[in-house]
Amino acid sequence: MAREQPITVAKSSLTVKPTNDWNRWSRRPSKKGELWTLDGLNLNELTFFAGVVSGEALYKERNKKDKPLPKFDPKMLAPDIVQMFEASNRIILETSLFEIDSVEPAKLGGHDGVHFTYHYTIQADEVRRKGDARAAIVDGKLYLINFVAPAIHYYDASIAEVRAIMDNASI
Amino acid sequence: MTFASCRHVAGAVLGVMALLTGTVAQAGQAVEAAVPSAIGYQPRDADERGLWMEMEEAERELRNSNFVVHDPALNAYVKGVLCRTVGEMRCSAARIYIVRTPYFNASMAPNGMMQVWTGLLLRTRNEAQLAAVLGHEFGHFEKRHSLRLFREVRSKTDAMAWLSFLPYGVGLLAQLGTLGSIFSFSRDMEREADVESIAYLTSGGYTPGQASAIWAQLRDEQDATAAERKVRSRKDKNGGFFASHPNSGERMLYLAALASSATAATRTGDAEYRDAMALWWAPLIDDQIKLNDFGATEFLLGRLAGSGWTSELLYARGELYRTRGGDGDFAKAAGFYRDAIALGSTLPEARRGLGLALLRTGAIEQGRTMLKDYVKLKPDAGDRAMMAMLAGGI
Amino acid sequence: MLRVLATPLLAALVMFAAPAHAQAEKSASKSGFSLPATGPVKIVVFRPDVHVGEQSTGGLNEPNADWTAEARKQIGIALEKAQKSKSNDLVLMPELEGEQGVLLADYRSLFKTVTNAVLVHKLFPGNRLPTKKETFNWTLGSGTSQLAQISGGDYGLFIYTYDSYGSAGRKAAQLVGAMFGVGISSGVHTGYAGLVDLKTGELVWINADAQMGGDVRDAVGADKRVSQLLEDFPTRAGTAVTAAQ
Repeated sequence: MAREQPITVAKSSLTVKPTNDWNRWSRRPSKKGELWTLDGLNLNELTFFAGVVSGEALYKERNKKDKPLPKFDPKMLAPDIVQMFEASNRIILETSLFEIDSVEPAKLGGHDGVHFTYHYTIQADEVRRKGDARAAIVDGKLYLINFVAPAIHYYDASIAEVRAIMDNASI
Repeated sequence: MTFASCRHVAGAVLGVMALLTGTVAQAGQAVEAAVPSAIGYQPRDADERGLWMEMEEAERELRNSNFVVHDPALNAYVKGVLCRTVGEMRCSAARIYIVRTPYFNASMAPNGMMQVWTGLLLRTRNEAQLAAVLGHEFGHFEKRHSLRLFREVRSKTDAMAWLSFLPYGVGLLAQLGTLGSIFSFSRDMEREADVESIAYLTSGGYTPGQASAIWAQLRDEQDATAAERKVRSRKDKNGGFFASHPNSGERMLYLAALASSATAATRTGDAEYRDAMALWWAPLIDDQIKLNDFGATEFLLGRLAGSGWTSELLYARGELYRTRGGDGDFAKAAGFYRDAIALGSTLPEARRGLGLALLRTGAIEQGRTMLKDYVKLKPDAGDRAMMAMLAGGI
Repeated sequence: MLRVLATPLLAALVMFAAPAHAQAEKSASKSGFSLPATGPVKIVVFRPDVHVGEQSTGGLNEPNADWTAEARKQIGIALEKAQKSKSNDLVLMPELEGEQGVLLADYRSLFKTVTNAVLVHKLFPGNRLPTKKETFNWTLGSGTSQLAQISGGDYGLFIYTYDSYGSAGRKAAQLVGAMFGVGISSGVHTGYAGLVDLKTGELVWINADAQMGGDVRDAVGADKRVSQLLEDFPTRAGTAVTAAQ
């Protein structure tokens, strides 16, 4: 992907400017999502969700009947968005070791939103991962940028650039 | 082998099928040196040594797993229940690992490595029920069911490989038949282990009817899940032709029948169990709420509140309703949080929950007041900045 | 992440034997990397993951404790010999307890995850990353220097081998299958090895092979296996360089 060029993601108006050579992943986490990685999805994963609407789940539901995911509601407050994110991830990753570390007001694309950090471990690989996400509701739709990487080395290596991407995103 | 047919496998830690062996210990029978629980027992042949070795490698990893619960008090309690159930001499053969995962299951490997999932601890209501599960698992271990199943699978898959050379239709049907018989073998061993669990319960002094109660509870929970989702209950979506375990309804019935003809024993250990779990309810219910299964969680909370709604349970109910956030849920949630606080809850999170619920119902001023209380009570909260802003700025 | 990929390739290596015609082995190393020309090079071996069993007629692996124990021993000896011949010193990573034990476990897990990324996104087709086509740069992070301190090693070597020897029944089925025109593989022999610069955390070399040779249950076979595992292992600067990548 070209550096320093604005790139629209998730087939939407969400536009970001990377400074590193990210790779766009061919498979999408959902209809409204897009995945980028530097070294491999299990090492650094940058996800963009754009225009999630009322009643829609954040991720593609693999098992609608037995493991339905929580759905977005435009009336959600910031803590509700964080809750929805946490529950969605706990279900998809099948883990109980998921903790939200911090939640604070922030802007995304100039709109009021939320910035939160978290950490989790999944049983399949026992690697402790840290995450950082920014979200906002614009015209009743959810926009969310999420970055996850192993706590050892990978999170710190990219977090500064990722935060810059989030700071300079435009919707 | 596992207690329930569960597709939520505890990760790559268990590479080989986790195998249970059954114990058929009649009360009073002497323990021979040939049973796995005997001190100094060594695996007897190449197959068994191989399985033990794989399990030893798996146990090495499990020991280091982030998901193992190390709380000494809880571990001591569960171990104590096992020893009461199968006897002090036998129980030393088992190493118990409590694993933090919200699903209902337990397992025991042929080398004595036992896993109990926290989702199970949330669902067994008393000591007798926990004893029934532990006894069932230990039963598989003593009877070396793992080994028998492994040999069965091996010989039948050998047969299947040969059958695959037969002309298409015949070969395929025969293969399905063989495959089915493998699962049938597994179900027979599960029934055996269930029978063992009754014997263990009575010799441990526990009410044998509690073994059947576990399945009745689980089936009711599955009904509750389905009712809320407005779909058909999945309680009977188990125990079919290709199932490793008998249908849960069938288990419930034959366990009840066995219990009625077993020696009467009366200990259920309700109070002891509640005391042992006291510090764990909050995190385990939190895990459960985050599964996004309203019906099951409401059901479990209701049953836990059998002897009265405590402030902790009311807080949990508030969280449950607020998380679902459907029509009328926020108002109901606010009510539960208020009740919790009225009952004396000092949890800052109860104020947080109430504040957020009130904001969603449109009671802005009241909501803000509550959030201000939360921030005051928990100045180092990770979400302090957000809550302070929602409270109107502090 | 893992939720998007079907199965980590590592698991796939174990579960499926590669068809005979597919390229089964791949290795990669940091471009231009070589070990110092002179002076001692201390390589710490982390407890190798060794699994040896027999593949039943039906394809089921039966773990064999005796074979695995023997293989572990033979591979250890062969590794020692191989590294000595390259003038490197080999030491075993000791068993660690407490905080150090957790540190070691964390790095072992991370190594597996990084290896997975390399296999999936560079070595084997299907999910290759464009930015990794020309380069090979993966790391565990400079925190590995803690492991260097504990063990006294300059480099860390991770080894994984999995063998399931086709039983007589399986081999017979293979023959019968051939008669019926049905391809049945016999035996699974996969493995990988990776070398990490413990000072910097960089993965300097990796080799993966889905069709390994050498019967690991005896000394001669273990030698062969180890030489395959260590294919294209970094050489000392100034010695003959084998084709990189």
